[in-house]
Amino acid sequence: MGAVLLKLAAMGGSLGSMDLVEEYRRMFGLDRSLWEQYLSFMRELLQGNLGYSIGSFPSQVSDMIRYAIPWTIGLLTITTIISWGMGSIIGAIVGWKGKRSRFFQMLVPIALVLYTTPYYILALILVYFFASYWQIFPLSGASSVGVVQGFSTRYILDLLHHAALPALSIILVSLGWWFLSMRSLITSLKGEDYIHNAEAMGIKEPRILWGYAFRNALLPQTTGLAISFGHIVGGALVTEVIFAYPGIGWLIFNSIKSLDYPVIQGSVLLIIISVTLANFLIDIAYPLIDPRIRYERAGS
Amino acid sequence: MATVALRRPKKFLRLLLENQKFTIGMVIFLTLFVLAIFANFFIETGKRTSGSLTPRQPPGETALLGSDSLGRSIASQMGEAVPNSLQVGLIAAFLGTTIGALIGFSSGYFGGVVDGVLRILIDVFLSVPSLLFLILIASLLRGVSVQVMAIIIGLFAWAWPARQVRAQVLSLKERGFVQVSRLSGMSGLEIIFRELMPHMLPWLGANFVNAFIAAILAESGLSILGLGPQREMTLGMMIYWALSYGALLQNQWWWWFIPVITLMALFLALYLIHIGLEEVSNPRLRQQGA
Repeated sequence: MGAVLLKLAAMGGSLGSMDLVEEYRRMFGLDRSLWEQYLSFMRELLQGNLGYSIGSFPSQVSDMIRYAIPWTIGLLTITTIISWGMGSIIGAIVGWKGKRSRFFQMLVPIALVLYTTPYYILALILVYFFASYWQIFPLSGASSVGVVQGFSTRYILDLLHHAALPALSIILVSLGWWFLSMRSLITSLKGEDYIHNAEAMGIKEPRILWGYAFRNALLPQTTGLAISFGHIVGGALVTEVIFAYPGIGWLIFNSIKSLDYPVIQGSVLLIIISVTLANFLIDIAYPLIDPRIRYERAGS
Repeated sequence: MATVALRRPKKFLRLLLENQKFTIGMVIFLTLFVLAIFANFFIETGKRTSGSLTPRQPPGETALLGSDSLGRSIASQMGEAVPNSLQVGLIAAFLGTTIGALIGFSSGYFGGVVDGVLRILIDVFLSVPSLLFLILIASLLRGVSVQVMAIIIGLFAWAWPARQVRAQVLSLKERGFVQVSRLSGMSGLEIIFRELMPHMLPWLGANFVNAFIAAILAESGLSILGLGPQREMTLGMMIYWALSYGALLQNQWWWWFIPVITLMALFLALYLIHIGLEEVSNPRLRQQGA
């Protein structure tokens, strides 16, 4: 390995001779058959080793992922929870009021437009207004150059300042979806017997809405939340690229563009694990949300 | 039920036209379509080449929708981009829905080992984001044409329809009429095409529109990342060129905003058509719809 680096330095870093290319191919095992490469990948994986990146050579794939993951998870967890919560609550109120409220009914077409707009299209519009026209928020990146990393208010404010536009574009779009799905859930629950029964018993309207209808609508809505949590890691790829936000999406995009196979393998593996994990967790969480669901041991 | 579509096509059509969402969506869609087609008759297509107009002109008398940094007319670019984007949607949705329906039908109808294998395949394709594969393939191919891109997108669009068709077939195949036709000696394929297919058609239609949306979404996403058809114009490629020439920062709003608003209108229209179709073929949704 040292010999390769010496050779590279001696040539001034240019692409150079076929010898060097061959040596690199041997080093990364690219000259072996696909089966051998796969087996050695799996063998290394079992020891928790994801290998080295080809594109930015001396760095390890696991380090690159470890650096990228907090950005993506931080951005998407917060935006997903905010939009889920807001969308569900507003959707429930609008679904419950139905046609009785003109104002709330007006929100439906707005939500429809937001939901059908892709993240990155909305991101472009936001960039135009907030970063180019009014210049309130920065164009790209996750933090300013020169601000020292750490738990200082200055750094945290800088982070929030940079995350505002990507976050806003994701929140607005997914808000539309959560709103629409909660509204249609509540609308269909309104006709149920137990709701009429509760009304006949003279229970106050807010209590019927939040204690009866909302709780029942929460189950499918939470399933949706879990599914989108699973997709968080691979989630906002185009948004991350547009804002040059250094998360997993940005990492994958760049590694694909430079055909950096070890990094692609590592990040795709991560995405698959997170999707599977989310599906597993939601199965465990179901009985907590809905007491009617109970997993029984075989035979009991 | 869904059978209305074939037993009484007129009634199905009337229901569709009475559905507000479907009609609004259809009107927006057709307007875009007709505008894009007719634009090519009125606008000189020669203005698509660079240098044919003064660069960076806002919309006005000399250039209907303005011109870009290379002096190309935005209007004539749109005349090329909209049909191309629709073409991607059409080819990809057709491929995705057809493959999906075939796999879903076989998986649901034959059951057993076939179902076991196909179900795993469907689950794998559903859990890995297809955009990743698309980016990978597009960057390996470098410089795809509109049609090739549409085919690649279509090959990754079948998993969702397949799962839904499978679920529908599973519930349909236990119904009386399927069992009767099995007893009267129809073969598996015959039952699929003559008994099950008619029930699924309106519903496949809704799925087709959904795949259409997903395909245009994938096309514009890939193009904005710079992996689209470099030599042709699609809505995504227009945005890509606008972004790479800094139209966003130089305040040339007409260059990027026109394809962006067109894409938004297209998505909204297709989504409305999709809900409309679903509501008409599923009466339970119809009562609920506000």
